[in-house]
Amino acid sequence: MAAAPLLELRQVSVAGRGTPRLEGVNLAIQPGERVALLGPSGAGKSTLLAVANGLLPPCCGQVLWRGEPPARARRARRRQQAAIGTLWQDLRLIEELSVQQNLNAGRLAAWGWPRALLNLLLPLETAANAAVLARVDLAPELLGQPVAALSGGQRQRVAIARLLRQDPTLLLADEPLASLDPRLAASLLALLLAEAEPPRALLLSLHRPDLLAGFDRVIGLRAGRLVFDAAASDLQGPAGVARLQELYRGEDRETDGQADGQTDGQTDGAGDGAGDGEPGEPARPAGAGPFWAAPDR
Amino acid sequence: MTGVGGGEIPALEAPALEGAPNGGAGRGFLLRPAAPLLVLLPSLVLLPLLGILPFLVHGGGLDLLGQFALAAFTPSLDPLVLRSALTGLATTVGMALLGWMVSLVLGLLLGLASSRTLWRSCWGRLWPAELIRRLLAIPRSIHELLWGLLLLQLVGLQPVVAVVAIAIPFGALVARVVADQLDGLDTGRLEALRLAGAPAPAALLTALGPPLLPGLLSYGGYRLECALRSATLLGVFGLGGLGTDLKLTLQSLEFRELWTGLWLLLAVMLALETGLGRLRRRWLMPRRLGLGRAGGGRAGVGVRAREMVLAVAALLPLTIGVGWALGVDPRALLAWQPLQGVGGSGWIDGERLLALPWPALIGGTLALTLLAAVLAVGLPPLQLLLSAPWLPARLLVRLSWALARLWPPPLTALLLLLVLQPGLITAALALGLHNAGILGRLLAEGLADGGPALEQSLTSAGVGPRLALLYGRYPAIARPYLAYGAYRADVLLRETVVVGLVGATGLGSQLLESLSSFAWDQLLALVAVYALLTLLGEELSDRVRRRLLQRA
Repeated sequence: MAAAPLLELRQVSVAGRGTPRLEGVNLAIQPGERVALLGPSGAGKSTLLAVANGLLPPCCGQVLWRGEPPARARRARRRQQAAIGTLWQDLRLIEELSVQQNLNAGRLAAWGWPRALLNLLLPLETAANAAVLARVDLAPELLGQPVAALSGGQRQRVAIARLLRQDPTLLLADEPLASLDPRLAASLLALLLAEAEPPRALLLSLHRPDLLAGFDRVIGLRAGRLVFDAAASDLQGPAGVARLQELYRGEDRETDGQADGQTDGQTDGAGDGAGDGEPGEPARPAGAGPFWAAPDR
Repeated sequence: MTGVGGGEIPALEAPALEGAPNGGAGRGFLLRPAAPLLVLLPSLVLLPLLGILPFLVHGGGLDLLGQFALAAFTPSLDPLVLRSALTGLATTVGMALLGWMVSLVLGLLLGLASSRTLWRSCWGRLWPAELIRRLLAIPRSIHELLWGLLLLQLVGLQPVVAVVAIAIPFGALVARVVADQLDGLDTGRLEALRLAGAPAPAALLTALGPPLLPGLLSYGGYRLECALRSATLLGVFGLGGLGTDLKLTLQSLEFRELWTGLWLLLAVMLALETGLGRLRRRWLMPRRLGLGRAGGGRAGVGVRAREMVLAVAALLPLTIGVGWALGVDPRALLAWQPLQGVGGSGWIDGERLLALPWPALIGGTLALTLLAAVLAVGLPPLQLLLSAPWLPARLLVRLSWALARLWPPPLTALLLLLVLQPGLITAALALGLHNAGILGRLLAEGLADGGPALEQSLTSAGVGPRLALLYGRYPAIARPYLAYGAYRADVLLRETVVVGLVGATGLGSQLLESLSSFAWDQLLALVAVYALLTLLGEELSDRVRRRLLQRA
């Protein structure tokens, strides 16, 4: 008998203003799977990830973790949530704290009060932090730096290192490559894929079908509905390209009017944000645009 | 950067973060509390305080205090009591509204008069602005209660006294904010208009009006809340309105009647705060902790401007109506009563002045200020943190803040005296709790403005609600909050006079004593020293604030 999938969504829907943000989504992620989530802006990718990490309770349907519904008891629920780690598009690093303190924030779910307070006063668990920094190709000297002083690429890596400190079983990533230049995007993706070794699984939303190498499975989302759920190998060749083009149909007409990244970010925030009209997310240029317009293709 | 004494609006920008401070990794080995911990440090004062309190407790009034607390659930609904409370409330609100309006008009005029930009661009000289600025420091440094008591001696118990007592210091505060805001604006546009030949007043109105209005209206709204608190406080010292009722019912131990007035006042205060908060959001006005995000306002630009002007225009007839209803007669200010003994030979007695224990008085005042300030700053973050997991606890904390800020500190002091010995700590508790109510609301407001993203990311990773709050929301608010705390400390210094009733608390209690024994020379000297201290404190707190906000 096969083990229960890590995460399973059954007929999950999320209501939105006017049109639903997710409608009847069925999805199961097995341990060790590397799944890419594709779809145009506003397709519901962020919403799906928010449902997956428990931030957004769906209006209908079921979310199962290892075959079980969300625990009612507070402690058990937190244990479930600690096993799911999210790499946010805006990273959500704590700007006022040092790299070391940010990395330790990944351990907060496991730590009690005393250590959480001490972390704000003293450098804690330096060895473990240096080790995760090494895994994301950063020098241990960065540990004492304030996060606000880092470059964009360093920040991305620190956010991933924090995830590694959390050590989740399921890794979710919300368009982590969106605002990066192609080289940086490729190296970060390689990093994430390398960390997603069994039994860890990865669900990563992205905008660029040119980066699908290395994924086991690809899910297409459009207007809140699952359009396809296929093995990555099935999407190669002309037939696969046609499926992808179908997914993004109409996208270039939509994006034509959006002259700058600002507008793009706003549509993202309004249609795709994790919370209801969630205000915390700064408008970020989605950057990549439709994949055939991407410069490296 | 506006370093403002009454500065509740300076839009505190997030500190500029440029490059890494020297030291890199080596820095990590210093004991250096990070931002979220900084917020919690002041609350450490509770430890010694809780250690001392048992020695101050006398069991005498414990049952009375219990009765007082229980009466909260059974306020008197007797029509007579209700009517008297409503009348008192109307008077208090009227006094607050009038005093506030006059202070706004005064403040706007004086603020323009002390603006460097204005003097430079209209008359090409600076010194009059500087001179007026310095002079305005004097009315600003004297608490409205002192103005009220002095005026009471001069013109007797008139409705106009409370209004003027509020208007004088508030007007000077508003003036400073107006001037600072004006001078902080970019003058390029103004100069462009002047060069194009626009007359000075027109150029000023066009160039400075639109960017200034939202900030000033927002600040004005906060001043109205302050005015309501001040009017209640003045009532406690006999200037009429609900405050007087509150004090009388407390002294006669009619707790159920007292709560009738208290709940009514609470309703009015919360309605006012909520209403003003709505307007602020609708009109995109800056908030005190300056964490607000741009965007999200519901009204368009043109609509906003029209609504603002309409709101301001509606205030004028309202003010006149209220003034008429309260029987406020400015002419009463001209009829001075002779002060007993003033002007006679030897009314200034040098020996009597020097006989005052000045070092102890000043030391006591400073100690009281410091203790109260640390309490006021330290309590709210701790309360929020402890109550984070439970909604009822969070609501209870909010309610306690609301009650604390509307309940005038001298009355808290009287209540505390039921169970505590008189003295500095009792006075500091009364003052600190009141201000904790004010700071608590501000903190909650600022936290809400910060947005949920970071906290949510922690929660979704299985972090508990308290640690999610500590790591997710406190880091961003820490410095603006503490900076506001520094400003509050300077307000507290001025405010120490109101708990002078408790006795043995420095200048405040000596001042009330000198007043009641008609020692005018002492009174003058005390007021002067008070003003001087306040000015020094203002300077100091400005510096602390600037440092807090600039250091990354």
